[in-house]
Amino acid sequence: MKLRVLTSALLGLLAGCATQSFSMRTLPDETPAADNARAVQRAAAPAPQPAAAPVTAADAPPLTTYDPWERFNRFSYRFNARFDENILLPVADQYRRLPGFIRAGVHNFFSNLSEVPTVLNDALQLQARNGATNVGRFVINTTLGIGGLFDFATRLHLARSPTTFGNTLSRWGVHPGPFLVLPILGPSTLRESVGMLGDYGMSYGVNVADLYRGDQAYALEVVDGVDTRANVGFRYYATGSPFEYEIIRFLYMRKTLLEDETLHPQGRQKNADRKEPAGR
Amino acid sequence: MKHSLRCSVALALALCVGSASATEDVRLQGAQIDAAGPPTGLADPAALRATIFGTPPQDRAPLPPTVPLAEIDIRLPWARPAPDVFWFDRRLRVWFSAQEKPAPLVIVISGAGSDGNTSSMSMLRAALFGAGYNVLTMPSPTFPDFIVAASSTGVAGDLRQDSGDLYAAMQAIVARLPHRIRITEVDLVGLSLGGANAAVVKSIADAGGTLPIHRVVMINPPVSLFASIARLDRLFAVSIGPGDAGIDRLYRKVYARLANLYRSSEAVQLDDTDFLSAAGAVLKSDADFAAAIALTFRIGLANVFFAGDLYAHTGVVTDPRHPPKVGDSLEEIARELRNKPFSEYFSKVFVPYYAAHRPGATAQSLLAQSNLAIIGDSLRSNADYFAQTNSDDLILDRQELSWLRTTLGSRIAVYDHGGHLGNVGERRQIADMLDMLGGRWADRNR
Repeated sequence: MKLRVLTSALLGLLAGCATQSFSMRTLPDETPAADNARAVQRAAAPAPQPAAAPVTAADAPPLTTYDPWERFNRFSYRFNARFDENILLPVADQYRRLPGFIRAGVHNFFSNLSEVPTVLNDALQLQARNGATNVGRFVINTTLGIGGLFDFATRLHLARSPTTFGNTLSRWGVHPGPFLVLPILGPSTLRESVGMLGDYGMSYGVNVADLYRGDQAYALEVVDGVDTRANVGFRYYATGSPFEYEIIRFLYMRKTLLEDETLHPQGRQKNADRKEPAGR
Repeated sequence: MKHSLRCSVALALALCVGSASATEDVRLQGAQIDAAGPPTGLADPAALRATIFGTPPQDRAPLPPTVPLAEIDIRLPWARPAPDVFWFDRRLRVWFSAQEKPAPLVIVISGAGSDGNTSSMSMLRAALFGAGYNVLTMPSPTFPDFIVAASSTGVAGDLRQDSGDLYAAMQAIVARLPHRIRITEVDLVGLSLGGANAAVVKSIADAGGTLPIHRVVMINPPVSLFASIARLDRLFAVSIGPGDAGIDRLYRKVYARLANLYRSSEAVQLDDTDFLSAAGAVLKSDADFAAAIALTFRIGLANVFFAGDLYAHTGVVTDPRHPPKVGDSLEEIARELRNKPFSEYFSKVFVPYYAAHRPGATAQSLLAQSNLAIIGDSLRSNADYFAQTNSDDLILDRQELSWLRTTLGSRIAVYDHGGHLGNVGERRQIADMLDMLGGRWADRNR
């Protein structure tokens, strides 16, 4: 019964808002002066050095993207667009009305909790230096930063360098697998989806301050989701284009493959892999 | 006719979802483009560079610390029923920045294929808000959301028709703004194609509209729409070549350069803005710049072609009896469209549709109608029309530039460099634009 009420409320919301003939939604203020100052700084930064063993045009994955789950993915993408527009974004808008210092605290808190799987993944990737930095960050921010509400570590020049179980799998040569649009969570790959489960498993296993067991775990996930959404600028169908699914799939898969390049500093994976359609 | 190229290069490559084949080296040779009369800037390296990279951040006009912003979605009663695949475009989305005191309103119209919230639009919004205006930014009538939610035909590209729909949308939006927003007068600014739209909107308003328009500033406007488009089609033919082979070659080159950039980078996770700016940063030669401009334009207008074909039932890339449904893969259609020059839209969709719906319309008459010359008399005699352009703008040829100069006289500012929209946001461009809007330009040039 409870479930049925919830479902019909959800469907009502999904169908409802887009039918209004006029709506005005306040967005966060733009900050052009500060944005431009940052752009000036970026323009002055030194250009990165080219890699020692260059990738050639022949190594690029084909233009076509392997997408065996296209039907499901397209359905999921549409569902996400409606869910985002009618539920997630309105909630994130309300959340953004909270004073900035509270939102910063919430953001830092979740960011600090994510150091737990990050450190374990650093270990699995044999990244001693990053591991040590991230342990340092966790200890400093949990103590001086009062349970992670303040990010003192960054001020002490211990920069955030998050990594995930998806990265660990990539580090040990696991290919991304097919493109996969997760309901609510959005575009991903099979490997990244397994990675997310792995990261959650790690957090669950370590269970910092008993946050991941019992009812508080649900609340934690919801607040984490809202905080994440409030900090991401992406809008579904901002391109206005019926080809948006193709665009996002193409960009997401190329970005995933390009990020794999940074995780294989010692050399390319076998070229044979690259001859297959992207994402296989 | 393109802007926000800096961020859309990767997006442009995004529709390259096609097959791979042989590679051959095609170089950009300016002399080949149009022996009969090369457009002023097509082969000019500085113009190409400016068009791609835009105004360097250190040369930008002073911008305010914060700009409030609201997103408005409005349903317009005259829109045609949306085809299934455009289910998300049923309402028109525009952006509004409100002053707290009574103030004039500037409505800014975006360039071909773009919405009202691109980086150039946001820069203009900031400059105008900082100068004390309320600012409304609107998509181009060639942006898919506009075609579906605000066009009365669904077949975009007719200057008068599109501008009429644009004016009707402006009236509907302004009428529904909250009462606390007090507007003293309305001026228009248009980028590129949006400039031509803005000028025609004012001429419609002057002929008896309910929302009076005072001044108009066109920034890098075309003179003949389809001549400018033909120029960009030729740029595509020369810099990329026919078929998917050219697109595949460009994609592979950009991918390899990006991969090397990533391999040399220490950061494991680059965020999305880094990814997009990285894609722009790997363009090196004039041929790269020309190809990126041509491809961005082609991809942007693929939506116009697709939507027009659906609304006009012309059956070029869609079957009118079995239009694509929600959930169908559109990959094949995307591939077909990126291999079609825009001139094919004109001959196979635009002309057949308007010839059937407008008595006496022919290809020649439609071509002549999509030209700023249709309001030439007003541009000559009415002191409230202004323009800013560059002598190396790649969408104009010499005759068109001199037509603009003679028609507008002292009311046009022509800068030496900037290519197409490559100096938007630059100190002098902004200062001149504000003088034109504020009625100070004539005094300055006396």
